[in-house]
Amino acid sequence: MSTLLEKHIVELLQERDEKAISLLYEHYGDTLLGVANKVVRNEELAQDVLQESFIKIWKKSDSYDSSKAKLFTWLFRITRNTAIDKLRSVNTKSDKEIQIDVSDVYNLGVNSIRPEFMDVRENLEKIETKYQIVLDALFFEGMTQQEASDELNIPLGTIKSRLKIGLRELKKIYGPTMLLLLSINLIS
Amino acid sequence: MKEKIKLFLDSDLLESYLLGATTTEETLQVERYLSMYPEVRKTYEELQDNLETYAKMHAVKAPEALKERILSSINKESNFKRNFYRMAVAASFAVLISAGASYFFWDQNQSLQAENSIVNNKIDDLEETMRAQLEDVRNQFIVLQNPETKKYTVKGNRKAQELKAVAYINPVKRLSYLNVSKLPHLPKDQCYQMWTEVNGEMLNLGIIKEADSQEKLLALPYAEDAVSYITIEPKGGNQSPSVENIVANIAY
Repeated sequence: MSTLLEKHIVELLQERDEKAISLLYEHYGDTLLGVANKVVRNEELAQDVLQESFIKIWKKSDSYDSSKAKLFTWLFRITRNTAIDKLRSVNTKSDKEIQIDVSDVYNLGVNSIRPEFMDVRENLEKIETKYQIVLDALFFEGMTQQEASDELNIPLGTIKSRLKIGLRELKKIYGPTMLLLLSINLIS
Repeated sequence: MKEKIKLFLDSDLLESYLLGATTTEETLQVERYLSMYPEVRKTYEELQDNLETYAKMHAVKAPEALKERILSSINKESNFKRNFYRMAVAASFAVLISAGASYFFWDQNQSLQAENSIVNNKIDDLEETMRAQLEDVRNQFIVLQNPETKKYTVKGNRKAQELKAVAYINPVKRLSYLNVSKLPHLPKDQCYQMWTEVNGEMLNLGIIKEADSQEKLLALPYAEDAVSYITIEPKGGNQSPSVENIVANIAY
């Protein structure tokens, strides 16, 4: 999905125009904060991660190569890696220092419950938990299928088939969403 | 070939690449497959779409305040860079100026050193000359004061009747001097030259200058039964004396 907006942002990034960061935040900020949150499982930390990620995005903007990855993929890589580094540094610093409130982990806060997210949340609910688990392992935790099989104690064959179904379910969802997003982009 | 692609797709490498978790070697391998096999490329595109969709499902509202914080820190970053460049430019100028100054001072030092060595040489020369002159004066003094010294009056012949000179000869110290007190004026293209005959050879003792001849004692090489001559020669002196132009001879 290489939209006009994406191209525009990439151009701005290459011109070192700070407007690019503004646009990136508006269009990808929520999703990337979600990614950071999935990794560090703490909203405050996730915000720190997002900030650091955006600064890295700004600094590395000339390293983005559209022939190698979609803009989102590139943003995702930076954010996820920053989140993993953050998690490591927090864990090594002191486990006692930062107490992650377990109740926060899946508590997305009042802020998060917004009508514009209802669609995707509903969509997420359409995917069965067992598929979500393997998708999480793949996309957020970066596990290989073998690692997921070991970690989750599920046979490799089952992981493979669940992943296949999970991805198929996703495709069903993003078909119409893509159209919706595309039309939003065209209007704006 | 199909088998190879299947093996590759089963290997999780593409997924790791998607997340940016591959090593440099693995990255190169994946990128090779991506460029070679459309099937791999298609799977990668699908994975990217899947990733974006799945990530969007987990979106969390990013606060406006955070956006401001990010923008201001990026702004600071850019300013810092700008300032850094400005400072770098200033520093470069300072370095250039100091290099220029260093060269200037080095150059000055070089020329001062050269001047210094010239001055030292001059001083050495002067010392040498002084020593020689002092030696000369002392010898003159010895000769003039010594009771053994004999004084001969020298007069010019027909060609220079006005010529008057005094020769001081000391056979003990083996020193002899000549004081020319009067020389007749010569045309501009001529000069007086002094010679002495030692062991049958004529030695050139140099040109007698009319101006300073009166106060000066001319040192003559000492030899038993030596004869000195004064001749008139063309200006600048001659290699050998013109016998027909002898104006005076001093025998001692």
